[in-house]
Amino acid sequence: MLEIKNLSAFYGNVEALRAVDLWIRAGQITTIIGANGAGKSTLLRAISGLIPTRYGEIRYVGTNIANMEPHRIVRMGISHVPEGRQVFSTMTVEENLMLGAYLRSGRRKRKEVAEDLEFVLDLFPPLRTRLRQLAGTLSGGEQQMLAVGRALMSRPRLLLLDEPSMGLAPLVIKDIFNCLKRLHEQGLTILLVEQDAQIALSVSHYAYVMRAGKIRMEGEAEELLRSEEIRHIYLGEGGISEDELMR
Amino acid sequence: MLDFWRNCPQYLANGLANGCLYILVAMGFNIIYNSTGIINFAQGEFSMFGGLFAYALTVSAGLPIPLAAILAVLSVALLGGLMERLIINPLRRSSVITAIIATIGASIFFKSLGRVIWPLEAYKVPEFTPGNISLPGVTVSRQFLWVFALTVASVSLVYVFFNRTRAGKAMRACSVNRQAASLVGIDVFRMSLYSFLLAAALGGAAGLISAPYASYGMGLELGVKGFTAAVVGGLGNVFGAVVGGLVLGVLEELIPGFLHIVLGISTGYKGAVAAVILIAVLLFRPQGILGKGMVEKV
Ligand SMILES: Nc1ncnc2c1ncn2[C@@H]1O[C@H](COP(=O)(O)OP(=O)(O)O)[C@@H](O)[C@H]1O
Ligand SMILES: [Mg+2]
Repeated sequence: MLEIKNLSAFYGNVEALRAVDLWIRAGQITTIIGANGAGKSTLLRAISGLIPTRYGEIRYVGTNIANMEPHRIVRMGISHVPEGRQVFSTMTVEENLMLGAYLRSGRRKRKEVAEDLEFVLDLFPPLRTRLRQLAGTLSGGEQQMLAVGRALMSRPRLLLLDEPSMGLAPLVIKDIFNCLKRLHEQGLTILLVEQDAQIALSVSHYAYVMRAGKIRMEGEAEELLRSEEIRHIYLGEGGISEDELMR
Repeated sequence: MLDFWRNCPQYLANGLANGCLYILVAMGFNIIYNSTGIINFAQGEFSMFGGLFAYALTVSAGLPIPLAAILAVLSVALLGGLMERLIINPLRRSSVITAIIATIGASIFFKSLGRVIWPLEAYKVPEFTPGNISLPGVTVSRQFLWVFALTVASVSLVYVFFNRTRAGKAMRACSVNRQAASLVGIDVFRMSLYSFLLAAALGGAAGLISAPYASYGMGLELGVKGFTAAVVGGLGNVFGAVVGGLVLGVLEELIPGFLHIVLGISTGYKGAVAAVILIAVLLFRPQGILGKGMVEKV
């Protein structure tokens, strides 16, 4: 569905992505794990057009979308839930969700959008009772639900998720990941970025490990879960720290 | 002191009349600031064109006033749109500071352009309805009723636009979080264009109703006053501009009036009152009376 070839991106003169190759198969949950600063968010930003890329391609159902404007990429069916949720804090929950459907205006689409709103509210029941509340007054977990719900309102075919577990309590994380599984069962393709390798690998099919802007390892999620190296570095088992490994 | 109290209704009326103009200009500053992060130093020149176009269309071209008014506002809006496409949009990858400096350039250019075409110090723009209305203790021009009505109408329209329309909500989304706005499919550069169209129309309307005189120099004063009103109300808070404009307009009358009558100080420094208020607000309450409101972060 999405094929990234030899992608490089820079912040000024700093190379934040170095010749990244990555495949996303339709209908699967693909995950990217890696420590803070590895370049995971940068990769998502490059896919959704928020930052320019210098070399390489991002092929999405046949077209190269590298350096396309973000709103065109949304129109093509890619929706990005950014790191830190980034809800429209001074607008209501309902306004946030409806802005998610910004590109689906017009009378004919209105019914579809209303159906999708119902779908999102069924998926995240806490949002239903808070439709008129300002998004900034929601708890962290609710804001994450809102951010995912807002992204779903564009009816994406590919959902990019940047650390949905960040700063949330274990129970809330479980809730959100259960929702992701449900979305996947309904046919949505997901690219999940996580620092929490355990939970990410447990829901996904295929995984990439990033470090310092490069893909260091890839494989079936189950395989990586069993791999010695991953267990040591990312699952906190054994004594080797990442710093030691870098030396 | 008694004289001061007796004059108060007149001060309030004059303050309200000027305040209306400041409201329109200040809303323009806020709308552009919210969509782009830019403080548009050419905002006052939109008003200058509003006044001069009104002069050209009524006196030079002989059009009836309502038609001339509409055409003048539309032309200024168009000019604002052109400014965005030709100056601001090409700088979209540069820093906000660069864009702000470009608006200073635009302001100088507009003023020179105005001066080349309309070189006199003052052009008489006809009032919508001439004459005055006298009530006990207050005399206001009939024009004042138009100023008031048009300001109320503009503020209401802007309110409806931001709260009820798709484009208005998208512009609010941009002001809260531009990156998130682009991730839901909003074309943020298109919103930047809309904000210049709207701000220029509001500025143009202010210039148009600020009759009786228009000149190439009028943009500076209205720009400074409008910016002060925006800061007083809370920069980025579109409806804070209403409070800011009224407060500034009224204080600008009351303070010199009080000092003149009670302490015998001449009113020659009247123009500096806004500057003093601006500095005081920036020092003691930089977020303005109502706070930033629309651009608050979590
Ligand atoms: N806006 C930015 N400007 C400059 N450098 C940045 C910016 N954002 C991220 N970086 C740098 O790029 C690298 C990758 O960051 P990021 O993609 O956020 O990592 P991750 O999401 O894996 O934690 C880091 O070294 C970070 O410091
Ligand atoms: Mg990150």
